[in-house]
Amino acid sequence: MNLPVEAVLRPRDLGEALSMLAEDPSAVPVAGGTDLVVQLRARRRHAPVLVDIGALGLDRIAVEGNALVIGAAATMDSIARSAAVREHAPALATAAGQVGAWPIQCRATLGGNLANASPAADTAPPLLTAGATVTAAFPSGQRRIPVLDLFEGPGTTRLAPGELITSVSIPLDPVPAGARRVDRFVKLGPRREQIISVVSLAVRAALLADGTLADVRIAVGAAAPTPVRAPAAESVLEGRPPGGAARREAARALQEDIAPIDDIRAPARYRRLAAAVLLDRLLGEISHG
Amino acid sequence: MDERIVVRLVLNGEERSFRVAPGRRLLDLLREDAGLTGTKEGCGAGECGACTVLLDGRPVPSCLVLAASCDGAAVVTVEGLGGPAGSHPFQRALVASGGVQCGFCTPGLVMTGAAVLEAGVTAPADQARLLSGNLCRCTGYVKVFEALRRAGEDGDG
Repeated sequence: MNLPVEAVLRPRDLGEALSMLAEDPSAVPVAGGTDLVVQLRARRRHAPVLVDIGALGLDRIAVEGNALVIGAAATMDSIARSAAVREHAPALATAAGQVGAWPIQCRATLGGNLANASPAADTAPPLLTAGATVTAAFPSGQRRIPVLDLFEGPGTTRLAPGELITSVSIPLDPVPAGARRVDRFVKLGPRREQIISVVSLAVRAALLADGTLADVRIAVGAAAPTPVRAPAAESVLEGRPPGGAARREAARALQEDIAPIDDIRAPARYRRLAAAVLLDRLLGEISHG
Repeated sequence: MDERIVVRLVLNGEERSFRVAPGRRLLDLLREDAGLTGTKEGCGAGECGACTVLLDGRPVPSCLVLAASCDGAAVVTVEGLGGPAGSHPFQRALVASGGVQCGFCTPGLVMTGAAVLEAGVTAPADQARLLSGNLCRCTGYVKVFEALRRAGEDGDG
C-alpha cells in the first residue's frame, strides 16, 4: 500500500528545508515518521506534502558551552546510548530507551516526539524537569522556546506554521558543593516495553549533604492535556528529605498538579493513583540512594 | 501531483534503483518492487516487529519508514543477512533450538536478533529487552532467547 501522500520533498540543507516549509504552510516535516506514518495510514492526519528533514545533519549530540545540545533528528537509540546524555540528563536517557521498542527507538527522533505533542510523550517530563528549551528555525532566523511553553494541547504546539524544531538544549546547571544531582524517570503501562505511557513521571533535584532536597522539579506525562510541571508537589519537597512525611505529603499534593482524563488506556482515577505511586516510588529510590 | 521518486539503495549488498510513489513504504518497496517477500507485514503500525529490516545497520520497522527517506541507504533484509557462506549464526541457532513455529514473526526476529549480536549485547535480560518489540504468538520466546544466547556464545559458529 501507499500512504496518502502526494509529494515528499527532499531538501539538501536546512535553509532549503525552511524555505519549503515557509512556501507551503500545509507541508509537514518528517524525520523518523514513527508517529506520522501511523497517523497517515489511519487517515487520522491529512498531510499531502512532506518535507524530509532526516538527512540534514540535525542528529548531533554535544556539549556546547553551558548546555547539552541534542539535534532534533537524533534518534531515541542514540540519545539512550549517548555518554553525554547519560551524564548530564540521565532521566532523558532512561525515557528515550523506553519509547516503543528498540526498532522504534532506532527510527524515532527527539524533535518528532516533541512536535507530535502527545500528552504521553516520554521525552517531555525529563526535558521539563531539566529546564530544556527547543530551538525553532524559520527562513529569517530562529528562536528559543522553553519546552514548558511548547505544548498547547493534545497534538498541538505553539510552533508557528513553517517553524521547524532543529535542536533541544539542556542547561548544565551545577549542583552546590557536596550535593548530588538526582535525575530520574519512570513510566507505567500494561507491559514494560512497547507501550504508550498510562502515566510517566520525572524528578530532578539536588540532594544536599544534609540529606534534604533543593531545586526540586517534578513533571508528569499523560496526566493532563499536555505534559506538566508539578509545582504543588515540588514545593512540599523543597528543603526536606525525600523520605518520611514529605514523601507522603508530596504524593497527595501531586493531585493538585494534574488533570487526567478517562481514555482507552486508563480511567482518570487510576491515573491519579498511579501518579502518586510513581512519585512515591522515585522518592523512595532517591532516599535509599 | 503524485510524481514518482527515485530511491537508490544498497539492498542486500547490491546497488539498486527504484521509482516509487511518494507515499510508498519501505516495506512495500521491499516486498512488491524488489520481490523480497521474506519481510512480513504484521500490524502495519510499528507494534509487532514482523517487518523489521536493517537500515544503515540499525533495526527499523519498515512499515513506518517512507521509501523516499531511504535514498542512499544500505538496507539488509532476511534474504541478505547470511551471505554466500550460508545462514546467519542466529538463524542456525533458531533452527537448532526449535525457536521457530509458524514462522511469520521469524524474519523480523532474525533481523533484530542479528542487530543485538552485532551490538555486542550478551546479558540475557538486555537481549530480551531489545527483542521486546518483536511479538511471537507461538513460541513463548523461551527458545528464541535461548537461540540468541547460543548464537552469542558461539560467535561466528
